[in-house]
Amino acid sequence: MADARRDSAANPAARNQSGKKAASASSSPLLDLEGITVRFGGLVAVSDLELDVEEGSIVSLIGPNGAGKTTAFNCVSGIYSPTSGSVRFRGKRLERAFTPGTILKALAVGLLTGLLFAAAAVDLDRLWMAVVKRGMITGEPFTASGAMERLRGYFRAELAIDQMAGKWRVVSADGSDVLAIKRDLALARLVRDGLQAKVTAWRTGPGTVPDASDLATTGDAAAASVVLPPVKDEVLDRLAAGKSRIRFRGWAGLFAGMLLGTTGTLAVWQRGRRSPHVVARAGISRTFQNIRLFSNMSVLENVLVGLDRTIPGGVLAMLLRTPANRRGEAEAKRRALAALDFVGLSGNANRIAGQLPYGDQRRLEIARALATGAQLLLLDEPAAGMNPSETGDLAGLIERIRASGVTVLLIEHHMNVVMRVSDRVAVLDHGTKIAEGTPAEVRRDEKVIEAYLGGEA
Amino acid sequence: MTLAVLAVAPLCLPALGGALGGQVTTLFIYCILALGLNVMVGYTGLVHLGIASFFGIGAYLLAILTVPMYPFQIGFLPATAVAVLATAGIGLALGAPTLRLRGDYLAIVTLGFGEVAKVTLRNLEQITGGMKGLNPVPPPGAGVTIGGLDLGKEFAIDPRWFYYLALASLAGVVLLMRRLEGSRLGRALVAVREDELAAQAMGISATKVKLSAFAMSSAVAGLAGCLYAASLSTTADPNAYDFNRSIMVLCAVILGGLGSIPGTLLGVAILVGFDTVLAPWADSWIQQWNINPTGSSLLSFSGWRLAIFGLALVLVMRYRPAGLIPSRRMAAELHDAPEGH
Repeated sequence: MADARRDSAANPAARNQSGKKAASASSSPLLDLEGITVRFGGLVAVSDLELDVEEGSIVSLIGPNGAGKTTAFNCVSGIYSPTSGSVRFRGKRLERAFTPGTILKALAVGLLTGLLFAAAAVDLDRLWMAVVKRGMITGEPFTASGAMERLRGYFRAELAIDQMAGKWRVVSADGSDVLAIKRDLALARLVRDGLQAKVTAWRTGPGTVPDASDLATTGDAAAASVVLPPVKDEVLDRLAAGKSRIRFRGWAGLFAGMLLGTTGTLAVWQRGRRSPHVVARAGISRTFQNIRLFSNMSVLENVLVGLDRTIPGGVLAMLLRTPANRRGEAEAKRRALAALDFVGLSGNANRIAGQLPYGDQRRLEIARALATGAQLLLLDEPAAGMNPSETGDLAGLIERIRASGVTVLLIEHHMNVVMRVSDRVAVLDHGTKIAEGTPAEVRRDEKVIEAYLGGEA
Repeated sequence: MTLAVLAVAPLCLPALGGALGGQVTTLFIYCILALGLNVMVGYTGLVHLGIASFFGIGAYLLAILTVPMYPFQIGFLPATAVAVLATAGIGLALGAPTLRLRGDYLAIVTLGFGEVAKVTLRNLEQITGGMKGLNPVPPPGAGVTIGGLDLGKEFAIDPRWFYYLALASLAGVVLLMRRLEGSRLGRALVAVREDELAAQAMGISATKVKLSAFAMSSAVAGLAGCLYAASLSTTADPNAYDFNRSIMVLCAVILGGLGSIPGTLLGVAILVGFDTVLAPWADSWIQQWNINPTGSSLLSFSGWRLAIFGLALVLVMRYRPAGLIPSRRMAAELHDAPEGH
């Protein structure tokens, strides 16, 4: 459907029929503003604005300067969030949907942050030394299971063996306490086991300190003869507390990081929920009062940016120039040229956008906005700064846009354009809607005349 | 054409087989780094003052995965692939929380990140070897034998192997950058630079686009770092990846022309080439002719390098503000300036 509509930008005549049909078929309005109020601090820019835009119509928003027209536009296009009230497009609020994916993404970010925090809390540097470096010193092959074993050992704060100046040392898991130094690896291992049993017993309860005879029960004859070096009580205290300390740090880091990461991601998601690109992807596109082209890009590239989403493929497809990506680019270029032709800019495709004359820049902005495949086009003072003949062309263009099936919401000061093209006109003054109706009705409305010409004081 | 000349050069110029070959290789590596930075600064218009940290992270990751000191030793190519992906990931991790910053603020964050990365590399002594760095990084192809040719040994003996490896990588990166420029994402990057709000109003997610720029920039810098560590066979110490290096590369990109591939290459050739090729050459020449027997820095060429460096930048900014070879878009902007502003 969207594709068909874009294609027909080139031949609006073919679209005429379906556009009208769609308009008469739909009962609910395409765009529905309900009680929109926008406050900037103490200033009320728009107050309780109600506006319906029927599909296939041209609705104008007029009013004196500072009446809040552009603010209302910015609310629709997602640049501002209204202080209160809702904007509905085809009956739906224009917000990013809250899906399981949102939660999963937040949790994934949280997990990553948590791991980062935990790595810092348990001292990544010492963890690496314990897991990787200690695996290299004994000359045994490095295996994943061995690394896992050492990783577990680190979090159990088990005594370990490392090497220094050709001698084997029995050290605490993080390497900060050296308990014994031996020339022989086998002996160092026995001492380690003996000391470990001592530390474990110290942790589990007083009075159960094993001596060498306890070790004999392991069946290792050599173990019985090992003389354990003396260890001070405060060192034993420290070693015994090591397990709970490292575990507490790990869990606390993980938990704090997850909490921060997850809630932060959700908070940012919430704030970006109504972003302009979400609105644009839903099918609302706009032009700006002060022209905002990509002025250093070519005219064609400007329109291609509008067609961005029609080109398939991710980064890899683009860098490898897959056939699908190439076809997409070619097709987009064809559509872009058709869009330029539609607004009357054919032949200017390779010029730099910023070098176009003023009126052409306005038309290029319209072509770019149409290229996004919008169903609703918001035009913010498209005739500003145009001479009468250009203004006439513009009115024709707006009518052709409508004929191609795109609904138009227009802010304009040139009354001849407004009166010529509009189906309905809404008048804003000081942020409040003072009148709405057909052009003829509005023209006779006393409040409107008063707003424009001033009341009798 | 240039590529063909550079490819044939080592065969004709025996000097490239010597020390000069190594210097030119370094030049190529800096070109890759600058092209990576160009994605952020040139195309997307995000000021990045910490590109050297990604260069360093790439170098250290390659070293960790290949040095004999650690059990991984997975070989140059797989290690490079892992390092490039990991630096892209770190780039994303830096980009995600800082995307909402613009201009000066982002510059400060990237500057801070560069310093944090440097200090972290220095302080994770058990992992990175602290100030000693990690070495020896084995040459690419160590242990690989093709047709009786021990590639590792060849790389270690003849700098031309590295010359070609760096040249091929550079050619690959230039090709990818060209394709990026003409692609949907390339246009989106420039659109975000030109007018972020308008780009968003056209349905482009500025967040995604900027994140892609961060990731690509970091990944290319990481690749340069891998080549750098392998060519030096050490990571050098963390101070090699400090702010000075970031600024040097940034200056090269600005000097050559923001967003312009040939400009960036030329900028690096001039700034880094001056530092790594011309200055040592001129110094040895001065020594040879015994002009400077007392070793006074006023009479050595490299004593003046910062002055010459500064003068060159001032002159370029005065006479060619868009860079030596401005990108088509930037050229248009400056041309337009007198009537537009």
